[in-house]
Amino acid sequence: MWFEERLQNSDNSCGNVILISGQAGVGKSATIYAIACHLGVEVQEWRTPTPTIWQEHLHNSNSGIQYMSKLEEFENFVERTSKYGLISSSITRVSPSPIILLIDDLPVVNGKVSYGRLHKCLHLLLQSVRLPTAILINDCGRSESPEHRSRYWEELQLSLQDAGACKVAFNPITVNSIKRVLSKICRSERCELSLEQIDVLAKASGGDIRHAITSLQYFCLKPDPMHSLSDPVLQENGSIHLDDEVSLPFGKDATLSLFHALGKFLHNKRETGNLVTSDRGAILLKEKFARSPLKMDAPELVLSQAHGQASLVADFLHENVLDFVNEEAIEDAGVIGTYLSDTDLLLAPRVGTLSRSFEADNVLQSAAASVAVRGVLFGNTCPVSSRWHAIRRPALWQIDQSLWHNKCRMLNQRRDARISLCLSDLSVLATELKPVLNWLGHRVHDVKPHEVLNKANFAEDEYHGLRLDDKDDKIDDDDDEIEDW
Amino acid sequence: MLWVDKYRPKTLDKVLVHQDIAQNLKKLVTEQDCPHLLFYGPPGSGKKTLIMALLRQIFGASADKVKVENKNWKVDAGSRTIDVELTTLSSTHHVELSPSDAGFQDRYVVQEIIKEMAKNRPIDSKGKKGFKVLVLNEVDKLSREAQHSLRRTMEKYSASCRLILCCNSSSKVTEAVRSRCLNMRINAPTEGEIIKVLEFIGKKESLQLPPGFAERIAHQSNRSLRRAILSFETCRVQQYPFTSNQAIPPMDWEEYISEIASTIFKEQSPKRLYEVRGKLYELLVNCIPPEIILKRLLYELMKKLDSELKHEIAHWAAYYEHRLRLGQKAIFHLEAFVAKFMSIYKGFLIETFG
Repeated sequence: MWFEERLQNSDNSCGNVILISGQAGVGKSATIYAIACHLGVEVQEWRTPTPTIWQEHLHNSNSGIQYMSKLEEFENFVERTSKYGLISSSITRVSPSPIILLIDDLPVVNGKVSYGRLHKCLHLLLQSVRLPTAILINDCGRSESPEHRSRYWEELQLSLQDAGACKVAFNPITVNSIKRVLSKICRSERCELSLEQIDVLAKASGGDIRHAITSLQYFCLKPDPMHSLSDPVLQENGSIHLDDEVSLPFGKDATLSLFHALGKFLHNKRETGNLVTSDRGAILLKEKFARSPLKMDAPELVLSQAHGQASLVADFLHENVLDFVNEEAIEDAGVIGTYLSDTDLLLAPRVGTLSRSFEADNVLQSAAASVAVRGVLFGNTCPVSSRWHAIRRPALWQIDQSLWHNKCRMLNQRRDARISLCLSDLSVLATELKPVLNWLGHRVHDVKPHEVLNKANFAEDEYHGLRLDDKDDKIDDDDDEIEDW
Repeated sequence: MLWVDKYRPKTLDKVLVHQDIAQNLKKLVTEQDCPHLLFYGPPGSGKKTLIMALLRQIFGASADKVKVENKNWKVDAGSRTIDVELTTLSSTHHVELSPSDAGFQDRYVVQEIIKEMAKNRPIDSKGKKGFKVLVLNEVDKLSREAQHSLRRTMEKYSASCRLILCCNSSSKVTEAVRSRCLNMRINAPTEGEIIKVLEFIGKKESLQLPPGFAERIAHQSNRSLRRAILSFETCRVQQYPFTSNQAIPPMDWEEYISEIASTIFKEQSPKRLYEVRGKLYELLVNCIPPEIILKRLLYELMKKLDSELKHEIAHWAAYYEHRLRLGQKAIFHLEAFVAKFMSIYKGFLIETFG
């Protein structure tokens, strides 16, 4: 085993780090402890500090105690270990058995700067640490959060691997093996559970064994007082419970990936055939506004399952919706456009309200998302028959980036150009001076206008291409999921 | 050097358009003091020129010696400090900047700069305490909070500094600020005035102007003097000696928008809409403000539109222009307008031609 090797020749200075990644609850830390137990070594953990609450911080800052972020503490810790080897902060006795250093729960980083700090820190650790060290990384579902954070983790893993850390990836545990574990526990605890029940438990846990075991315990606990009563009742109760997955008190909420949800909205499947006749005595709608019922859950429910942020959802819908509108139906596109414009209006930061209430913001967010989704669903009266479609990443993001970059460049130009450019504001610069300067620059050549525009763009694309590539790859992976929901 | 700068009048006496305003300003500052001033008017009407000339009138030639700086301010805002970076243009007597470049942090900038200026007041030769002038551009783009803090600081430091505000539309400046300033409305120059200026420049450059040529430039300039002079210069580069029917090169983005308009007229379908979106993105990337895109697009569409529809289209353009200003993502609204236009236009075509 790797650890054994490392423990024996503990003096070689590099390559002492193993990187373990996997979903929550696949038993990463349990493995480390098991190995340690097996080899008879001691596990030394980096103790994460207790998080400080804001009120506490306010209180402390009066009494002169400095606030330390988790990241800072981690930095300190790494510095200490690299300088002095591992001196366990509280214990002074020399432990007789060898030690494995375990770093669970890396500090959460937000933003480039703190990420850089963490990165540096880990590299330092990698180079200096003498003891075998395990770093646990929890990778959450990649497709679900297209935000930067999950990308940071991936980058971090890669760079650590490059620096010489071994990597072990834990796959999610299969339903079968969870079942096996559960039934073993059942046997040893002498509680009786039917096979189906175990099956459902295993499925509901979604590859998370810790969760499955906890649920099992909870499930065994509950019927205990009833145990002496009639068994069949219990059985019946149980089966009623198990019929409906949603009603399980211990099941994980079924989550959807964002792309799945978007696919649902865009394809806009509705019941065909028997058109709605208002047998419930609902208000009669005009022909124009009537739509056949949706073939899915309420859009808000789907949204909440997909954890979609309103602006994110709106961006994606805006980018992709036109592909799904019938070629003839420009009116639909008009309606959808109006709804999306409404959404943006709702999402715009309120002006003039200094004290923002977060509850109101929340309501606003969800309202906006709902308007966007329902607008798209309502507007698209005759959706294109379902076929394979790739969902594009919103071009808007890239446009925003390059717009910002162009703006900066223009401001810089303004600074080192002549006085008149200094005086004039940006819009004048863009609309009046720049074209003329282009003209004067190009002199006699009869350059077509959009060629000039393209030329300005060209450098841009190169500049951003590097960073966007890896993102695109990621999205391509997801495309094949969207085929036909 | 561009002609726009070369022939910018340096003193109030040499101003060619708005001579009456220039004379009044001159009278105003002869006593070495002046109220706060607010210049407003359409782009290319000569606000900035008047301001520069005015500064020169007050402080003499030393107002011309300006240096461009990129200044960093550390603003203390309660629990944290904010870093703001801005380009300023300053002489010993005045500072000029566009606080709206700082985005939503504009209010801190306004407060901080005025405070700093008030701290080091210049002392003139007679030992009397003088004042400094702060020129703020694009006041109408300032957030409401910034305008409020501007109001407070204006009163507090009125002894040590004067403000000259400059903007396009005075209706976007709060009442409170407006009433504390002397408002100067600078009209767009008439075509006649533009022609006069062009002829003046032509004489200085010793160019032969064919009859009617200056009129055509003036007409195309949309009553913006800067625009007129710029296109005059491009014409000069393009072809000299001038011919009377020489084409005046339009701005490239305007041509691009007219291309968009013809795309819209050609076919109304989601696919076309998607194409238009790509083109709009391109304009936006090149920093053309979305309001201007919408305005120009409407203008181009109106040219070929049946008069029956004009009213409705104008209504929708106004509707989306308003949302554009309230919202964040310009493309949503621009596209919504285009889609609306397409659907209305298609309906109209079907109705009339079957």
